[in-house]
Amino acid sequence: MDPLLENRLHLTRRHFFGRSATGIGTAALASLLARDGVAAPPRFGGLPSLPDFAPRAKRVIYLFQNGAPTHVDLFDWKPNLQKMHGRPVPGEYIGDRRFSTMTGKADGKLLLAPVEPFAQHGQSGAWVSELMPHTAKIADHLCFVKSLHTEQVNHAPAINFMLSGGEMPGRPTLGAWLTYGLGSETDQLPAFVVMTSITKDTTCGQIFYDFYWGSGFLPSRFQGVKFRGSGDPVLYAANPAGISRQMRRGLLDDVAAINRLKLDEFGDPEIATRIAQYEMSFRMQQSIPELADLSDESERTLRMYGPAVQQPGSFAHNCLIARRLVERGCRFVQLMHAGWDQHNSLTTELYNQCRDTDQPSAALVMDLKQRGLLDDTLVVWGGEFGRTPFLQGDINNRPRWGRDHHPYAFTKWMAGGGVKPGISYGGTDDLGINAVENPVHVHDFQATLLHLLGIDHERLTYRFQGRQFRLTDVHGHVVDEILA
Amino acid sequence: MRPLVPLLVILPSLLLLAGVDSPTARAEHAIDFTRDIRPILSENCFFCHGPDEQTREAGLRIDTHEGALEVITAFDSGQSELYLRLIAEEDERMPPVDSHRRLSTEEIAKIRQWIDQGAAWQQHWSFRPLRSPPIPIPIPKPPDPQQSAARNWPRHNPVDALVQSRLAQHGLSPAPQADRRTLIRRLSLDLTGLPPTPAEVDAFLADRDPGAYERLVDRLLMSPAFGQRMAWPWLDAARYADTNGYQGDRERTMWPWRDWVVDAFNQNLPFDRFTREQIAGDLLPDAAPRQVLATAFLRNHMINGEGGRIAEENRVEYVMDMAETVGTVWLGLTLNCCRCHDHKYDPVTNEEYYQFFAFFNQTPVDGGGGNPQTAPNLAVASADQRRRLNRLRQQIADLDANLSPPSEADKPDEADKQDEAVKAAQKRRAQLQTQLEAIQKAVPKVMVMGDRAEPRETFVLERGLYNKPTTAVSAGVPEALPGRLPREPATRKELADWLVADSNPLTARVTVNRLWQQVFGIGLVKTPEDFGTQGEIPEHMDLLNWLAADFRDSGWDIKHTLRTILTSHTYRQSSRVTDPAVLEADPENRLLARGARYRLPSWMLRDQALAAAGLLSPAAGGAAINTYQPEGVWEEASFGKKVYHRDEGEKLYRRSLYVFWRRIVGPTMFFDSASRQTCTVAPNRTNTPLHALQTLNSTIYVEAARHLAQLALQSSAADDSRRIDFVFRRVLARPATSPERTILLAGLQRTRDQYQGDAAAAAPLVSLGESPRDDALPVIEHAAWTQLVLAVLNLDETLNHE
Repeated sequence: MDPLLENRLHLTRRHFFGRSATGIGTAALASLLARDGVAAPPRFGGLPSLPDFAPRAKRVIYLFQNGAPTHVDLFDWKPNLQKMHGRPVPGEYIGDRRFSTMTGKADGKLLLAPVEPFAQHGQSGAWVSELMPHTAKIADHLCFVKSLHTEQVNHAPAINFMLSGGEMPGRPTLGAWLTYGLGSETDQLPAFVVMTSITKDTTCGQIFYDFYWGSGFLPSRFQGVKFRGSGDPVLYAANPAGISRQMRRGLLDDVAAINRLKLDEFGDPEIATRIAQYEMSFRMQQSIPELADLSDESERTLRMYGPAVQQPGSFAHNCLIARRLVERGCRFVQLMHAGWDQHNSLTTELYNQCRDTDQPSAALVMDLKQRGLLDDTLVVWGGEFGRTPFLQGDINNRPRWGRDHHPYAFTKWMAGGGVKPGISYGGTDDLGINAVENPVHVHDFQATLLHLLGIDHERLTYRFQGRQFRLTDVHGHVVDEILA
Repeated sequence: MRPLVPLLVILPSLLLLAGVDSPTARAEHAIDFTRDIRPILSENCFFCHGPDEQTREAGLRIDTHEGALEVITAFDSGQSELYLRLIAEEDERMPPVDSHRRLSTEEIAKIRQWIDQGAAWQQHWSFRPLRSPPIPIPIPKPPDPQQSAARNWPRHNPVDALVQSRLAQHGLSPAPQADRRTLIRRLSLDLTGLPPTPAEVDAFLADRDPGAYERLVDRLLMSPAFGQRMAWPWLDAARYADTNGYQGDRERTMWPWRDWVVDAFNQNLPFDRFTREQIAGDLLPDAAPRQVLATAFLRNHMINGEGGRIAEENRVEYVMDMAETVGTVWLGLTLNCCRCHDHKYDPVTNEEYYQFFAFFNQTPVDGGGGNPQTAPNLAVASADQRRRLNRLRQQIADLDANLSPPSEADKPDEADKQDEAVKAAQKRRAQLQTQLEAIQKAVPKVMVMGDRAEPRETFVLERGLYNKPTTAVSAGVPEALPGRLPREPATRKELADWLVADSNPLTARVTVNRLWQQVFGIGLVKTPEDFGTQGEIPEHMDLLNWLAADFRDSGWDIKHTLRTILTSHTYRQSSRVTDPAVLEADPENRLLARGARYRLPSWMLRDQALAAAGLLSPAAGGAAINTYQPEGVWEEASFGKKVYHRDEGEKLYRRSLYVFWRRIVGPTMFFDSASRQTCTVAPNRTNTPLHALQTLNSTIYVEAARHLAQLALQSSAADDSRRIDFVFRRVLARPATSPERTILLAGLQRTRDQYQGDAAAAAPLVSLGESPRDDALPVIEHAAWTQLVLAVLNLDETLNHE
């Protein structure tokens, strides 16, 4: 049976079995409103059959770096690239590979050394660029996956592919799948929250399309709720001027009283759901401003995230809100930060980009660690593809150096949530052009994420257009070697 | 579930059809291939043993009768490999363990029974020729008093006969007719998307002559709001929006096509012409501009102007989008499955996908750039623009006529004078020309269809990749579908003719299913996008077939079919649940033993609130408007590149249909909407706290509440109770009940007390929104009533089609 229908039927049964002399539904409604006295942790929604096995992570914070960070300048250290600086790409590395129209054919393009030096860090000896000093410091908590590759060469299709498994809009994204499958641990806040940011004055920002957090063919209640950087974090959460919280309470009580009359008369279980949802809206009105109020954060914590943490809409601010969200039971937090598309600004804007993301990302991992949340919270950092190890632009014009889109190899890092800390997995050739050692396809990465959350990626399916769809289409292998 | 009660005396002709075309006649234990067997085979076997040649295992296909006979011995399951493999030990068993598919014991038993009964095979139901099924005549068994009541079940037309015969088989009875107030609200919302006015309700209640209901239906069908209401789902299907989508998200001017759709519904353009004009209006003999305009349907797809995109890759995407949209909207087929491989379930091959694609592949569009008026386009001037253009053209022509050069015989000083006059005239002419060009620039240009002079060859694309062409194909329709193209080589015109040919059973079935879905909230086939083997098999198959045949035979008359549905008793039933057992047995009301109750679409909720509050603007058509939206939504999504300029005055209160739709961030005042990014034909209906926040807090609802409160306070209603009735009548077409009145009166007093005489605290509420406030009204009283009306606007009944 359709699991959603099953759930509804369950409500129906409860509705009618709660029938009493005073009218049908009253008892059932009371139990709905009181929220079931289930033992901790509470779970709201989700499929009864999930998880498939014990999860290592219960929630995810995805620090999505929109525009594609340059792997060879940040994490994928290639001494040979340094040596070959300024020389044409050897033909055998590129074959008939397709690049964006800006590059066209890669033949004859000149290799470009990383713009800043690298050093090894921590016990694990991870190579990290000097552009990312804070990330470098926590290298022993991170798992670098260096052999990712994708099929898409342009931003929107590649981001869709990374988040939904399909290049075109229309499929559910990772967060939608997870909240559909696992439900939420809170009914005070949305289960799937999205926040966006962009480095100030960047010239290479990519637009955030709402299908990046869409629910595709899943019911729309599973789509990400976008928290805004200014004004009310959630649209329409604030009462209109002139209606106090106490007044709203009274209004909702009146609406509920009349709706109960309707429920008794009509027996439609959706009415009970509506009463419960209006109640939840009231709770959200309280919990959302409380979430956004940082006055209970210690000076020390705020300092960790850096100076931008107090600016709503900044990446740093969003990182701290992300921690507060998962603390309160949110299942999936998707941060998207734009400005990584450095076609001609590698020696300028890349520095701003790292300044804005490095410290808050590292702070978030350590903050979660200190609070004991990192064990079952998975943090992922990375973009939709990498950037060409060869140059876009004129080798003699350093201020305008750039790199083009590169789907054949890129790096992401993960932390917490059942991932082995302090390792690097997979690798590229000696120029960082192709993933050659243990390549990880996007679908493999997605399968692994689901696995960490206790889900068999082949079983989490939804029937649409007559077929069982899943995040990983008909592909994907769990990367067992990175599981703790 | 209760046992089926055989109740029908079947007409002789129906008996002949039993087991071939009609589930109505099936005996209790006879296995029906379509209903019982094909879904099991499709779900569990076709993936590896189906239409897709590339992935077919062991060379065996069991989606065709011929193929299945290789593993079936009719009447002998013990000799049938198909059955034996289902019950085999694990390593031999089908489906294989690692497929995660497993047949239930009941399903295996059904397969055995089916084989033992002779393994009768049937063509997939939706591909069968469309014939009108016989209408059952029930003759109840006299001794059973409960059943004899069936004789008195209200029947207004064949819809009821067909529905009630199935209800009887399930031991159910139809619900009684809903009361008149419920009916007029239901009908008004279904046909116009607006609530009835109190005067309309009173007139309907007062009309006690026979045929009052039918007259109401006819009046609503003639309302100009009918076309606006019908247009919305068509715009969802056509992925209509006011911008391109993707990076840049440039604004386009496709709205003249939107107005064409509204007009087409209002004029009841027969659906075959509606089809021909939108798919091939440009190719019709002596195509009128309006027919060319109709083809904008196909050009409503997104346009990707992202830097670095390969033009041909874009172009192929656009053509695929056109082909797949037509496949979904007219055929109910998921053609997109065949981009890369043969369909896994339906008899459509990879090659046939590209044959279908070829119809649209003759577009001259090259896929480059993000011009939102990419040619071919059609300039659609408004009446005013046409008038101004004509006047300017005339003025220029007049000037030109007078601007002959001076003759040589003229005296020099006169020549000088003339010269000056000429200069002045030339200057004037240049001014007029500038004005002319400015208007021409402002005339909306709508992207329409047009084929290249030089035909483009079409190839199968390996894995759907634009740069991996393989076999050349010509335009064609899938072999397994009924009917042939009228001539070859075929163009979009022949495709359109084929879609609406009498021999094509899908178009009529798929279309009446959407009409049904529009008023019942859920289609007779729950999967409006999929009529293939994986789609739902309709419980009321005879009804769907009858409606579809009747629709086709009526000359594709949409108003006729709607009238038939709406005048049935089935539609008029009360939506009240009287028996919990019925609700449990049929929670989604698929059997139709009661009326439809479901949450109204969010666009209709907005229109309803505006209309009830007396704020709705009557203006129709034209460029889209920007109504209330929280600040910064576009700016945040576009890094400040798209600035939201809210309109003022009357435009704020236009119907939802006219709200500007930016594709990268859709209008925030709607929820559960189609994305308008790709074709959407199924409604999306969820129930979340965020929706509650919207209808409780967004400007338009609060303003509607305070405006309706103002009307109540200004009205002649003598006391609070009568004012509550005034509000109820405008919102719900009925007065409040006594318990409702008690609750609301107490709430009203509570709110007055909460303001504690502090008018300043109440003032912001009564001034929210642009519409003027009557300053004569006491502020606290007005605010307290505003909250009361806001509560009424948020009642479950208000939010629902009931």
